[in-house]
Amino acid sequence: MNCAEFQDDLPQWLEGDRKVESEAHLRTCPACHELIADFDFIRRAAGQLQESAEPSPRVWNSIAIALRQEGLIRDGERESATVTVFPRPRGRWLNWLAPIAALGLIAFSLWTYQNGSPESAGQSALPPKVQTASMSLEDRQLLDMISARMPSLRQTYESDLQDVNAYIQDAEQSVHSNPNDEEAQESLMQAYEQRAMLYEMALNRSLP
Amino acid sequence: MKQHSKRAAKLVLVVVIAGAVYGAAQTRKEFRYTVSPKSTVYVANQYGPISAKSAPGNQVVVTVVLRSDKVEVEQSQRGNRVEIRSHLLTGADVDSGQADYEITLPSDANVTLQSSTGPLHVEKLNGDVTLEGATAEVDVRDLSGGHVHIKTLNGPVTLTNVRDGHVEITSVSGDVVLNGVEGPLVQVNSTSGKIHYDGNFGFGGQYSLTSHTGDIEALAPPYASIDVTARSVRGQVENDFPLEPKHSSFVAKAGSAFAGTVGKAASSVKLLSFSGKIHLKKR
Repeated sequence: MNCAEFQDDLPQWLEGDRKVESEAHLRTCPACHELIADFDFIRRAAGQLQESAEPSPRVWNSIAIALRQEGLIRDGERESATVTVFPRPRGRWLNWLAPIAALGLIAFSLWTYQNGSPESAGQSALPPKVQTASMSLEDRQLLDMISARMPSLRQTYESDLQDVNAYIQDAEQSVHSNPNDEEAQESLMQAYEQRAMLYEMALNRSLP
Repeated sequence: MKQHSKRAAKLVLVVVIAGAVYGAAQTRKEFRYTVSPKSTVYVANQYGPISAKSAPGNQVVVTVVLRSDKVEVEQSQRGNRVEIRSHLLTGADVDSGQADYEITLPSDANVTLQSSTGPLHVEKLNGDVTLEGATAEVDVRDLSGGHVHIKTLNGPVTLTNVRDGHVEITSVSGDVVLNGVEGPLVQVNSTSGKIHYDGNFGFGGQYSLTSHTGDIEALAPPYASIDVTARSVRGQVENDFPLEPKHSSFVAKAGSAFAGTVGKAASSVKLLSFSGKIHLKKR
């Protein structure tokens, strides 16, 4: 078994279905061994964070709106359950809600990565909070992961993450001050895209 | 004098031996793949440069120099897709894990290159180009017709002579320089990097240059045909063009926001920043 085959088999491995070939490969491959060690570490750390990892109502709200747009849920179905931070989508709003929902999904991906698999997470585990302006819990987790896997890039990620969070904070304030301003909305979308890219790049396994 | 000669000879010997040892640690490999039109080439390299340019024929040729035995290459071809990955072994670091790639491929190939440290260089292609690197310097030139997607953290990005492209660049803190870049869509999104555009904004394109704290400078000829909107929330804006007013909900504000049209207003140009300085310059 080579590394690619082992990684194909990874979901089963993480769920406890461990083949003899996989175990043999793991004994001889330091890279895959390190990967599994990372998963174990993240799984343990995530277990301690589940209670505090309540997502921001804004994340759910954005995802709900995007799902409504896609027709996956009906309008009004969860209207009373969500906190309306943004006005109802209208015109160009429609263009940028999807990226925000994507950001939520990326946050969810991080959480999934931390927990091994969604199935193993149980009912009580929720995606991490998407916070801005300061270094949030998931930001610190991300930086810890970067320190472990690519220490030479830790400083770059940390500095960029702080800058991006400041960008989001400014853009959010701008939208709140001028909810109908298209350019403010566009800037907020761009700021979220920056953060999404940063997370995506850090979590991309093809990079170190 | 004689002692000097001896020292020099010793020094040369040391250099020769060191060079031989260094050379011996390096490994050069070459892979060749025969592909059909519109092939896809994917290269992921943790540390080190990747350079790709077009060559006549229907072959993808990948030459890689591995800097040590702590890095190896995994390669495969499935149908019309070629995939190459550097695989780091235990103990590999940014030096010993480095691999230098040079790729030649048909001009219609679609290329995805990833390297944390780069640099990444692509030239003379017509297919889609996707480049991704954290600190990697990105240099792209002489492309036409494809989608160009670039993502970096602090790696600077330079595009030269890119025509008819859908260009999307996202860089957190790397400076972005566009020279002669035109297309139906040109979008640059930066947090703290500077954005510099030098071109004529084409005819009928949509250009969006956005930053948080980075300055934005756009140079265009007097004959440019643009519908421009510019605003810096806390920074300054400057404009060298005589603008015709336009009907818009956008609020112009002297020194911090302007909007208007030049010529037939064929292309839309949006320049947005929070605290960066924006300057629309006449060339």
